[in-house]
Amino acid sequence: MNKCHPLANLALEQTIDKILNQTQKEIESSIKSALNDTTQTLDDAIPKLGKEYDKIIADGKKEADKIEKQIIGGADIEARNKQLLALEASVDKVFVKALDQITNNDRSGDYANLIKSLLDESTRILGTSEVIVSANSKDRDVVQSTLSGFPGSELSSDTIECIGGVIIKSKDGAMTFDNTLDARIERLKPLIRKDIAAKFGVGN
Amino acid sequence: MTAEGGVQYSKIAEIKGPLVVVDDVESAAFDELVEIETTEGERRLGKVLEVGNGKAIVQVFEGTTGLSISGTKAKFVGKVMEMPVSKEVLGRVFDGLGRPKDGLPDPIADKFVDINGEPMNPEQREYPKDFIQTGVSVIDGLMTLVRGQKLPIFSGSGMSHNLLAAQIARQASVVGKQDDFAVVFAAIGVQYSEAEYFRRSLEESGALKRSVLFLNTADDPAIERIITPRVALTVAEYLAFDLGMHVLVVITDMTNYAEALREISAAREEVPGRKGYPGYLYTDLSTLYERAGKLNGRKGSVTQVPILTMPSDDITHPIPDLTGYITEGQIVVGRDLFRQGVYPPINILSSLSRLMKDGIGEGSTREDHSEVSNQVYDAYSRAQEVRALAGIVGKAGLTEIDLKYMDVGDTFEKEFLTQATDENRTIEETLDLMWKIVSKLPRNEITKIKDKYVEKYYKEE
Repeated sequence: MNKCHPLANLALEQTIDKILNQTQKEIESSIKSALNDTTQTLDDAIPKLGKEYDKIIADGKKEADKIEKQIIGGADIEARNKQLLALEASVDKVFVKALDQITNNDRSGDYANLIKSLLDESTRILGTSEVIVSANSKDRDVVQSTLSGFPGSELSSDTIECIGGVIIKSKDGAMTFDNTLDARIERLKPLIRKDIAAKFGVGN
Repeated sequence: MTAEGGVQYSKIAEIKGPLVVVDDVESAAFDELVEIETTEGERRLGKVLEVGNGKAIVQVFEGTTGLSISGTKAKFVGKVMEMPVSKEVLGRVFDGLGRPKDGLPDPIADKFVDINGEPMNPEQREYPKDFIQTGVSVIDGLMTLVRGQKLPIFSGSGMSHNLLAAQIARQASVVGKQDDFAVVFAAIGVQYSEAEYFRRSLEESGALKRSVLFLNTADDPAIERIITPRVALTVAEYLAFDLGMHVLVVITDMTNYAEALREISAAREEVPGRKGYPGYLYTDLSTLYERAGKLNGRKGSVTQVPILTMPSDDITHPIPDLTGYITEGQIVVGRDLFRQGVYPPINILSSLSRLMKDGIGEGSTREDHSEVSNQVYDAYSRAQEVRALAGIVGKAGLTEIDLKYMDVGDTFEKEFLTQATDENRTIEETLDLMWKIVSKLPRNEITKIKDKYVEKYYKEE
């Protein structure tokens, strides 16, 4: 076995120390540089993080606003619809009651005047008094007595189903004018509904 | 409205397409409403188109299918068609003739308004100049809509214009003001699924409470389509000029309206104009489009976004052509972008808003809006030229600056143009995105923006 010279050992040790020192320095420098890089990266990330944070918050707020709008909008519509249905039911009740009262009204007194004005209006619109007049069974007598003022007119033998008033037809059958109370109420229904709704405090 | 009714005539001379000719009519007026009663007692509505020589020509809205000469009666109601209006119409869904379609009763009317509207006194018109935010970047940023404007969307069949229409209806708002805003949505001849989509979309987003919907579906009689935009605009005018609201009217699809007009014109044996449409198509369209605007001394406004599908994507077709003469710009939906899956596929190079310049800038949107928008237009236009060049010489043959413009084009389409259907971008977000695109260019390429804005907003990548 060969033995090394002591000087050779010393040189070897020195070389090793040198390498160790150099390596240590390199490692320290790398660590320092890595530390700097990391610090820099962190520093750079902070504003990005801030932006990202703000974006998430803003998106979340937007989403929350959207959901709030959906919930409130939906609830408002639902409540309004229920109110509309309730109002309509009440309006219908008022209508039924009013129609009942009109149907059962006494046919004496002013009613003859009403029939006369309905006949006046109808013959004026048709442009002739050569007409056939139809009425319901309750009104036939009143209508018959009023027709004397309308030469050429005659009362139809058929009766009609209505709460009152007359239907007038030209004798050739080409023109008809519905002047029953039902038809008049139907034509004015939107305005009557508005008035009834106003009594319930809607639409004021 | 009076209690006095109208005369019913039972002599029907002829039934021709959607028209009924009534004989021995002594007094009828042009546009008068007519109730047609079938032999089965079914009632349909119509209006008088012509009167004379003891005859009246009546256009039946619900069509003449099932009508016969004997037994059919026509009652001339003695008034024109009216729409009951009140604040109660908000949140309601109506059919194409203005009848409730949501299972609720008729709205309690504040008043009854002639659906043909009253022409706006030109002298009383106020120039539109206030911004409406749609939440859609490409519209807000590059073809800004202003209150009182009429800005149509030109699309093609099968493209995503209905998604866009619904998105605008859901998101549109007046920024920074407490003024009331409402949307009137008129769907003309749309498929049932589309009508449902519009209704559900507004309902689920909570926007229904400030909207009124008029839905005429494809299976509804074509003639009803003549009425749908008119009832919608009548309600819009009431909300705007009686209640002081800012109203956005979205009408889709005006092509179906013009088709219905052609059908009636053919039945009346009128001399056809281009592609069989009546010669008065321009005049007729103007009676609808000109109902948009603002009036001096009145608080509200009516803004219109009519949507029309161009047959064969042909922008020279009479409908887009004549529409373009009347309206103040156009938004063109592009087939190429649509095929690439871009939503909204708006071709900005064919689109413009003529009133944009007055509705943007400091105090409306932001000081830099006009200039950054010009720069984006310019950059995207260059990008398209470079893309065409790359198609010939290949990407390798392009210069560095050409490649930058190509990148700008891609970013524009992917990040700015592309937007989710439920994404509501504020005008600030839109402008920031525009600066992001502009910032992809070297500073010396920014030639359309003042230095002070470049210094403030430009962030070179």
